Amino acid sequence: MERETLDVDVLIVGGGPAGLSAALRLAQLQEQRGGERLSIAVLEKARDAGAHMLSGALLDPSTLRELVPDFREKGAPLAAEVQHDRVYFFTQTSSLRFPIIPPPLRNHGNYIVSLNRLVRWLAEQVEGRGVDFFTGFAGQEVLIDRDRVIGVRTGDRGIDRHGARKPTFEPGVDILAKITIFCDGVRGNLTKELLRRYQLGRGRQPEQFAVGLKELWAVPSGRIEPGTIIHTMGYPLRHAEFGGGFIYAMPDGELSVGFVAGLDYKDPLFDPHMAFNRFKRHSFVRRLLEGGQMIRYGAKALPEGGWNTIPRPYVDGGLIAGDAGGFLNSMRLKGIHLAMQTGMLAAETAFEAIRAGDTSAAQLVRYQEKIDSSPVRAELYPVRNVHQAFDYGLLSGLVFAGLTVLTRGRWVEDLHGQAGHERMQTLTAYYGPASAEASAGKTRPASITSSNATEVDRRLTFDKVTNVHYSGTAHDEDQPAHLLVHTDVCSTICGQEYGHPCIRFCPANVYEILQEADGPRLQINASNCVHCKTCDIMDPYGVITWVPPEGGQGPQYNGM
Amino acid sequence: MILVVAEQRAGVLNRATWEAVVAAQRLAQDAGGLPIRIAVLGAGDAAAQELAAAGVGDVVVLSDPALETYTPDGYVMALATAIPSLAPQFVVLPHTYQTRDFVPALAARLNRPLITDVTGLSGETFTRPMFQGKLAAEVRPTGDRPCFVTCQIGAFRADQVKRGGAASSVTTHAVTIDRSAIRQTPDAPFQEAKQSVDLTQAQRIVAVGRGIKSREQLPVAERLAKALGAELAASRPICDSGWLPMERQIGSSGQTVAPKLYVALGISGAIQHLVGMKGSRTVVAINKDADAPIFEIADYGIVGDLFEIVPALIAELEKK
Amino acid sequence: MKIAVCIKQVPTREWQPRIRDDKRWFRDEDVSYEMNEPDAYALEEALRLRETHGGEVVVCAAGPARIQQVLREALARGADRALHVEDEALGAADAFVSAGALAAALRDERCDLVLTGLQSDDQGHAQTGVILAELLGTPHSTIIMEVQVQEGRLRVKRELEGGWFQWVSMPLPALLTIQSGINQLRYATLKGIMAAKKKEIRKISLPAGLQPAQEIVSLALPSRTKQTQIIGGSPQEAALELLRRLREEARAL
Repeated sequence: MERETLDVDVLIVGGGPAGLSAALRLAQLQEQRGGERLSIAVLEKARDAGAHMLSGALLDPSTLRELVPDFREKGAPLAAEVQHDRVYFFTQTSSLRFPIIPPPLRNHGNYIVSLNRLVRWLAEQVEGRGVDFFTGFAGQEVLIDRDRVIGVRTGDRGIDRHGARKPTFEPGVDILAKITIFCDGVRGNLTKELLRRYQLGRGRQPEQFAVGLKELWAVPSGRIEPGTIIHTMGYPLRHAEFGGGFIYAMPDGELSVGFVAGLDYKDPLFDPHMAFNRFKRHSFVRRLLEGGQMIRYGAKALPEGGWNTIPRPYVDGGLIAGDAGGFLNSMRLKGIHLAMQTGMLAAETAFEAIRAGDTSAAQLVRYQEKIDSSPVRAELYPVRNVHQAFDYGLLSGLVFAGLTVLTRGRWVEDLHGQAGHERMQTLTAYYGPASAEASAGKTRPASITSSNATEVDRRLTFDKVTNVHYSGTAHDEDQPAHLLVHTDVCSTICGQEYGHPCIRFCPANVYEILQEADGPRLQINASNCVHCKTCDIMDPYGVITWVPPEGGQGPQYNGM
Repeated sequence: MILVVAEQRAGVLNRATWEAVVAAQRLAQDAGGLPIRIAVLGAGDAAAQELAAAGVGDVVVLSDPALETYTPDGYVMALATAIPSLAPQFVVLPHTYQTRDFVPALAARLNRPLITDVTGLSGETFTRPMFQGKLAAEVRPTGDRPCFVTCQIGAFRADQVKRGGAASSVTTHAVTIDRSAIRQTPDAPFQEAKQSVDLTQAQRIVAVGRGIKSREQLPVAERLAKALGAELAASRPICDSGWLPMERQIGSSGQTVAPKLYVALGISGAIQHLVGMKGSRTVVAINKDADAPIFEIADYGIVGDLFEIVPALIAELEKK
Repeated sequence: MKIAVCIKQVPTREWQPRIRDDKRWFRDEDVSYEMNEPDAYALEEALRLRETHGGEVVVCAAGPARIQQVLREALARGADRALHVEDEALGAADAFVSAGALAAALRDERCDLVLTGLQSDDQGHAQTGVILAELLGTPHSTIIMEVQVQEGRLRVKRELEGGWFQWVSMPLPALLTIQSGINQLRYATLKGIMAAKKKEIRKISLPAGLQPAQEIVSLALPSRTKQTQIIGGSPQEAALELLRRLREEARAL
């Protein structure tokens, strides 16, 4: 098929904080150092900047200050400076406040932000500075020539659900670049390709993830002071489960409420979305949300593994920045400033490489060197084992985290981690042999309820179908399903082995198991997808691959 | 005086005209009791007589050969001359495709306000939908009288016309239209087996959801739709499974409708569906599950097996 | 052929309105916008007519600064240049003011054909296009499903209610309001987006003296005031009772 090609100097895949910081930094370098004009393009699969951006979020402004020193004058949307910082331990019926917050968890000097709004603002800073920002275009495939990354192919558009071309068919474009900076987010589909092709994870710990669910609420003004941040641990999670809740108060009664659950739980009947509902039903949280209104909902995975799981972030012709590379401090629960920082470092590396006329890995290794001598390593290295320690349970994790802080991360030996989906146990292993038989005998797998199911009242707590409506996610129904399931275990052994966990770990009701005359059948409601990547990560058989749907579609995370 | 402009084609009165009369009567009442007159363009004798018989107000026939066939230019010219001399406070029309084709030009020519797609009124404040029904707006005309008002089809009930004791008079005003100034040349209207269904135009809809269980069970819903003179529609899962075409889908990824009557069979009422039909005037829900969210927005609900209830409905309807 | 297309920017489909405290408009934080769908079809129709008959497609909008987004999108899809009557107040303007602003931009262009969508998905007056035709002094037709151009004349297929249609012919210049679904929308290509950056968007100031014909007194979320009546009994009894209430109470039959 005839494809158009577009030649650029630097291609940035992903218009999130990493990608836009890279673009902005390149524009700045261009302006400062002059020389031949570089052509810079950013590809973003969402309809507009920020639409797929979701986070708690708390921003460490140090990187923003470096990138845009006059960010205040330029109207950076920082909702509130952190005023009251509280950590609680929840039991089912009570909440115990930590009298002292461990220093690494303190947020003095940080800001509560909406990542969606911040990214929209970043996109405005980039506009008109010689960067082509292409929204509505998904990166489908990495283009490789003789082992070197030479660019990215965008997805075809105008294909119907049977795979045939519609009259509006437009083939994807091959964007050829001297350097491609991959900022395609947590479990980015292109970075995933690079990891596999170039074995970038060799010698590193396996990647580990969590899923974050979040709602934006409007509650009566004055109920909680803006700038108050609350983190919780304990209930509704059990000892062996990683995660916790968060509540961030912004001005005008806006509340960011969410829950993070590690994607490494053993119980196959665990449902992260139900955990979020339980969290909201806790009296402490319920009191804050009473009488308020849920405005928006969303979910996204987070890279939690830390420093030891970060792959080699450079190849011939390519660099990896942001969540795609796993640059997130899971102990401080912060990744935006690290995404921005690595984006900036990638930009500097790319700029120098192009000026030097050498974009090989031998030149691009400087990216790793820059990271190693930057605040990124200084921050991530000391806490490199913290997430792995939580593999041993909450108490171990906390103790470990505390010791890490005291000793500044000096250890003799690094802990080993395990890929989260491999930790999920079978029904038999977790519940005993009777359970597998029982679930096999049940007429409807849907009646294998989650182990943590709770009441849903559609005012405070919601079912996934109702929640996903408030994510604003929309996809053209007449296109191929973008969740590729390469197997038939759904209709053979999965029910008995794991009880179809996909119907539980997906926060958007994409996966449904329908009982038909000849057995269970998987139905994929692809248009519900919120692009969180949980299924790609957590499926115990490892047979689900998320690929980008047609560009310009997906959630609309305004204000998230 | 409040003027209603009737709509007729080949002498046959468009029933929506009566809805405009109801709206006009309400306006008249709110204004302290103004008289009503009805204008008919073209020969339309039969239409004029039918209107006069209701005794709601004197009928004025604007006649000229050029008005026999509707053209926007012709209608605008005729009314632009007649209205200033009739001097009404309001001119009320039904919000039909034809009205939309000429009234804005008429209002612009006379430089008078026009409020369209009105669903309610109180004094000089009109209610109309905005943002595809997501918001209800109260608006007021600014500017000189007359103010033109078009009423959403079905918002006012034709059976609420207050008929007068005696028939009203019918007078004919000859208006001189310069035929050469009419720039449109229309052919005769024709009917086409529409390739696509326009659910937004349907006054009654029977919608099916997962409760219908299988494609083979659709006929019971089809028969109910037929008996009610309704269009058949569905929630998303039905269309996703291919049991009904996509164009019959109602909801956030399908059509948004607001018919007079919406019958939801075996539909749970997920919010994605509700946003597509909650503007319906009367909602009937039949579902096995008493806790189904659909019952929260239904006017009438029956908790039970649709496969027993719907045949009973059909039997009763077919008796007539 | 010189074809003008008037386009508007409306909140995206999944938008949940939040009303301002003064109730006269909605809160515009976090609102995303897109091209009004019927206008997108009008633009596509214009591009197709240009492909058949040659000429130029000029896209025109009256709105605040943010409307540039849809003008750029139109240019990326293939429009040749753009006109922007810019004023912050135009975001909430009624049809009379919008049409007046568009007329100011188009009067001197002397286009052969002006296309608009049949109505906008925001205020939905369904007036602007026809008022514009009156202000420009051109003939018009509305809710058009097909457009044919032959020797300086138009032949268009107008949609009527209930599956009826009508062909109407008129001389050029003329204005048409276009129905959604008349064609299939093309995508903006990467090359198109890049080329759009070099195309002209001419700013035109809002003419003085445009008066609105209506004012918004208040906006509200529509509420259902009725109580749900659950009808009990056997299926036959319930069916009978339902029909009775539909007939006598709700008058829906």
